[in-house]
Amino acid sequence: MTQVGGHHTERVRQRTHEGFLRHKGFRWAQIATLLCLVVVAVYFFVAARIAEPPSGGSWLGYILGTISAGLIVWLACLGVRKRVITAGHYSLKAWVSAHVYLGLSLVVLATLHTGFQFGWNVHTLAYALMMLVIASGALGIWAYATLPQRLHGNRGETTRKQMLEALESLDKQLHDLALPLDRAGAEVVRMSLEHTELSGSFWRRLTGSYGNCANTRALHRLKTLPVPADTRQAEAMEKIATVMEQKADVLGLARRQMQITAMLEGWLFVHIPATFALLAALTAHIVSVFTYW
Amino acid sequence: MAQEFHLKLITQRAGGGDPIVRERTVEKSELSVGRATGNDIVLADLSVDLQHARMRLSGPGRVSIESVSGAPFDVGGKAVMGAELNAASRPVVRFGDFSLALEPGPDDESVGVTITRDDDEHHASPGVFSLQAKVFGRRNMAWVLGSGIFLLCLAIPMIFVLFLANPKIHPDRQWSTGALSTAHAFMQQDCKSCHTNAFVAVRDEACLTCHAAAADKAPEALANAKRLGSPFEPLLISEHADHAELLKATPLPPGLGAKANVMIQRAFNHPTDRCASCHIEHTKAKGGTAEAPASDKPKLVVVQTCESCHSELKMRLKTTELIDTPDWSKHPNFRPVVMTQPGPAPKFQRVALDTAPKERNGLIFPHRLHLDPKGGVARQAIGLGKAAGYGEALECADCHRRDKAGTNFVPIEMERDCGTCHSLAYARVDGQLRNLPHGDVNKVIATLAGRTVAAPGGSDRMRPGGIRPSAFSGAGASAYRATFSLGGACYDCHTISWSGDTVQLAPTKLATKYLPRGGFDHSVPEHGGPGESKRGGFKCADCHRAQTSDKSGDVLIPDLAKCGTCHGKTTAQIAAADDADCTTCHSFHKPGQSTPKPGHPPLRALRWTEATSRRAAGV
Repeated sequence: MTQVGGHHTERVRQRTHEGFLRHKGFRWAQIATLLCLVVVAVYFFVAARIAEPPSGGSWLGYILGTISAGLIVWLACLGVRKRVITAGHYSLKAWVSAHVYLGLSLVVLATLHTGFQFGWNVHTLAYALMMLVIASGALGIWAYATLPQRLHGNRGETTRKQMLEALESLDKQLHDLALPLDRAGAEVVRMSLEHTELSGSFWRRLTGSYGNCANTRALHRLKTLPVPADTRQAEAMEKIATVMEQKADVLGLARRQMQITAMLEGWLFVHIPATFALLAALTAHIVSVFTYW
Repeated sequence: MAQEFHLKLITQRAGGGDPIVRERTVEKSELSVGRATGNDIVLADLSVDLQHARMRLSGPGRVSIESVSGAPFDVGGKAVMGAELNAASRPVVRFGDFSLALEPGPDDESVGVTITRDDDEHHASPGVFSLQAKVFGRRNMAWVLGSGIFLLCLAIPMIFVLFLANPKIHPDRQWSTGALSTAHAFMQQDCKSCHTNAFVAVRDEACLTCHAAAADKAPEALANAKRLGSPFEPLLISEHADHAELLKATPLPPGLGAKANVMIQRAFNHPTDRCASCHIEHTKAKGGTAEAPASDKPKLVVVQTCESCHSELKMRLKTTELIDTPDWSKHPNFRPVVMTQPGPAPKFQRVALDTAPKERNGLIFPHRLHLDPKGGVARQAIGLGKAAGYGEALECADCHRRDKAGTNFVPIEMERDCGTCHSLAYARVDGQLRNLPHGDVNKVIATLAGRTVAAPGGSDRMRPGGIRPSAFSGAGASAYRATFSLGGACYDCHTISWSGDTVQLAPTKLATKYLPRGGFDHSVPEHGGPGESKRGGFKCADCHRAQTSDKSGDVLIPDLAKCGTCHGKTTAQIAAADDADCTTCHSFHKPGQSTPKPGHPPLRALRWTEATSRRAAGV
């Protein structure tokens, strides 16, 4: 790392961009894969040899269960860990990398712990919640791996702040342009100014559906209005139409930005609550199993 | 003083700070209000009409406002088309975002109007790009879901388990890891019927509530099962051996993992010698389907093999009389239970078959004589004819009759099994034969008391129904002495001695089971049972060498090697080959019987009424 000039520049740049997925040459991916392979091999070796049907209550079941429960608690600690700033071997990146790969390995560990016995009970509830947490986490991995690129591609050189400023300035233009208009014209502009929702609800953001956007409706209504006799008003209306179209463009850009951001953050709205639900269900699972041993 | 309005326009700076204040005086008694630039008061708000209203001084300190566009304005929170206002009361009139506050001017003729615009301009912050949710925020949902599940799935059921004795609802049902077997399904709702103590693994006492086989506990066990609502009669279960001895005799299972497993379980108060260690509930049978997840009975899991306990048993259990059987090839030869001393208190002893043990059963019965195809017995049987059930030389089945199941034989009864040839008749009264009562010598003596020999002549061997002449032609005068003497009805089969004038019969007892610790199924075709046997299968005489036996004391069971002809062999060696599994002849709970086939007896046969009739039928 001392040689940064010349031919090494590109390599160094790549290295500094190494994300949590590729951390230390996929070290945690390798550890998790190895863990899964060992566990699968042991499971099928043991399951064929023990008389009882495979379940969480066999000795292998207890071992897998203990490892899985320990992993779940440790994985949940990422929320605590990320709020603490440290450096060195246990960097947050290393931690996240391990979180991702060990979390994925739980699919194998916990499934084998169940012995493929499922039912309508608290135990399968815990399993289902765990799978929900992992599935949402996988969505998060996909989001973090692909969406920042799309965010960047969407906004080009425009920053979010600039988008908002552009909207504000367009609104100001609309307002000023509409001042000479009669009531009908002013109503139309007010619709765009006062009723245009930039963001909208959770689902609207995620789906990016703004079909009844007030600005679009205003633009349509504007075009149906009779052309005023007054030339000043007529000119104003033409300009207003142009500005509304510009506003529609900026809104589209900002909303795509929001949609991508929503996808980037949306999985956490499942991942975090489901994790807490899982911790509760896991506690119920363990305590109940030993209550009715 | 002229009528005039003092206008004060206050504009907020965009970046904050002191507002800009512009003042002017309009020397008019009437002002126009609207959005158009030609108005006296220009309100640059799109909700205000181009020419919206007129404001007029209507008297000293009084202002009259009325709409000219037909659109209302707002006074004191009400939308109005016109208003008469007193400046002294400092009213506020609103047009769109603008508010016009009136106040008395420096003199009565003038009115001050302060025009301000509500600064409701909302500046979106870049934070708007982040995903927000008010009700379903991450933190809210996390706490609601987490604590909800904790309450519903753990806290509430736990309160029911620990503090409520007979609850109407069973929230702990959600803890069930799987359906119970059909046999136990009636307890599905009530976890505590088996899980009697929280955090303590199910103990045998819970199982024995309904399954105890001990004579003093069985009636109560059946009653308990009925009380708990079982649709089935529980199988009463005996221990393999005394439990304390079992514990001593049981080694740790083979294999390091299995040893560790047992030791860890014991350490955590989860012993492996419980009923529930082998009979597993809440699990579908291996290979069970989703449609039939539950098996009829709890899943049986063998945690210890027979060999593991029955190897080096003496080292762990000094008092045992059992011989080690580490595998089939080392199975000890049979040691039948033989009556070695007859009498009122007979003595039984296990004697090795190799030593040709003799039974002292008190009976004189030469099998050879009866089975000789060319002997007198055969002739008599032929003479009796098919109609009487004979017609050919005697076969085993002519005297040894199978029980209902066919696996064993019913005990020999003299009248039924011997009486066709061996007549007990002693007199003919009114053309009817009178028979001696069999089984009680005193009754025989009482029957014959006072009778003397008075017999017709004829052959010594009579057909059944005839009176044996020799019985009445003894040297003595009385029929009593004659009956128990050579030629008498009893003399042939019973060992008789005399003490003065008193007859003494040796006590008679026939073995019903030589091998009390193993089961043998005579109904198997290869074991001489009905049906077609595989090649190499046995008939009675192949195992029981009765044709060469002259003494009833001969123990006619075959040795273990005979079993080994087929058991432990391959079909390549003998067509009738079969396994040599311990369970073929022994079962865990009843070592003297072979292990029932899986699922036997079928659950439906255990329904109360069927079980009762099944037991009555002796099956």
